[in-house]
Amino acid sequence: MFESAIGLVKLLTNGTLTTIQIFFLTLLFSLPLGMLVAFGRMSKNKIVREIFKFYILIMRGTPLLLQLMFVYFAPYYWIGLNWDRFIAAIVAFTLNYAAYFAEIYRGGIESIPQGQYEAAEVLGFTKTQTFMRIILPQVVKRVLPPISNEVITLVKDTALVQTLGVSELFRVAKNESSRIFSTTPLAVAGVYYLLMNWLVTKALHAMEKRLSYYK
Amino acid sequence: MLKAENLVKRFDGKEVLSGISFEVIKGQVLAIIGPSGSGKSTLLRCLNLLEKLDGGRLEVDGEVMVRTDNSGKVIYAPEADLRRMRLRFGLVFQNFNLFPHFSVLQNITEAPQRVAGMNPQEAKELALELLDKMGLADKAEAYPYQLSGGQSQRVAIARALAMKPDILFFDEPTSALDPELTGEVLKVIRMLALEHMTMVVVTHEMAFAKEVADRVIFMDKGVIVEAGTPEEIFNNPSNERTRAFLNVLKSF
Repeated sequence: MFESAIGLVKLLTNGTLTTIQIFFLTLLFSLPLGMLVAFGRMSKNKIVREIFKFYILIMRGTPLLLQLMFVYFAPYYWIGLNWDRFIAAIVAFTLNYAAYFAEIYRGGIESIPQGQYEAAEVLGFTKTQTFMRIILPQVVKRVLPPISNEVITLVKDTALVQTLGVSELFRVAKNESSRIFSTTPLAVAGVYYLLMNWLVTKALHAMEKRLSYYK
Repeated sequence: MLKAENLVKRFDGKEVLSGISFEVIKGQVLAIIGPSGSGKSTLLRCLNLLEKLDGGRLEVDGEVMVRTDNSGKVIYAPEADLRRMRLRFGLVFQNFNLFPHFSVLQNITEAPQRVAGMNPQEAKELALELLDKMGLADKAEAYPYQLSGGQSQRVAIARALAMKPDILFFDEPTSALDPELTGEVLKVIRMLALEHMTMVVVTHEMAFAKEVADRVIFMDKGVIVEAGTPEEIFNNPSNERTRAFLNVLKSF
């Protein structure tokens, strides 16, 4: 009994490591990519703007599960390319989350009063300085709460990757559950997800607190 | 020092500045008065390159900033020259526009350091000196949200002065303030006038304009109706519109 409990924890912890990898790699790529998409979406060039609008529409308008399968299987059906499931998952997640982040960034950037740009301009700051030193820090503070929402959702969305056969937490728990004819592995996996999100929430709150020195 | 000739500005085809000409003379305070919507603020924004002119000529100490060719096309000086010329101007906004994420000190030191290339220690000393002058020596570490409107505006003035402008422009510097706080800002401008800082002040404070200005321009509907010394404009206005405007104010 005790041994099998240890075995289950080991198994699920292994799966969790993969889940954590998906989580961090997705954030690592999608947070900056989202900024680029936001710039594209706000471009003065109408064609560029429309392209990014369309991109965001597709990413937010279709199921992530469908996108996941499409990204993995499409290259195979088109050109016979059989690529790594894990990499396919990261690519799909990055593309999807970047679209959500982009819209959050856009909201943040557009909420900064025009007067901030004008004050920076008359003081002689370049456009880059104005964005990096004056605008971006204020945007970060404003977008942190909605970004937090997405990050918490991401922890749970990683479970979708199991459809590609990647052995992350949910797939491991599901298989173990059918093997030993018990829902215990699923319940334990639930606790793992909860634990991860508890940590994520803590970290995000700490960041919000660090930025609360001004209003 | 600054010479404006025949400035024209349109918004969606509607003319808001219709041939404005005037000169800012070194060491003088020029007050621009007039009813709301007369184009005063737009004029200031055009001079500070926040709005693009649709016609006219601007010269700073003989150097051409903006000109209009024979076909009516407005030509601005090359970007690098404009940047250099713009740094000779400082602008104080109606709504202060302080940077909320910077302390008072950093609001003032940021531009001298990053734009003028001053070293941090020098910039800090300059900022503290200016804050002291503004009567805000104890607010260096405060953040803008902790300041009253009058204090915010004085920080904004210090921020503009830190770039050592040759001309300081004020866009209705007291209009966003509670009446009891306008005094502290006007006092600072008065002090700068005594130091012969060249200033252009768009204001609704008639008593202040009369007291501090060397010259007054009265604007209405995008044109300069009358220009002269404060005595000429306030005590003996020759134009009917000026008289009417001042009379309305007197009745308050």
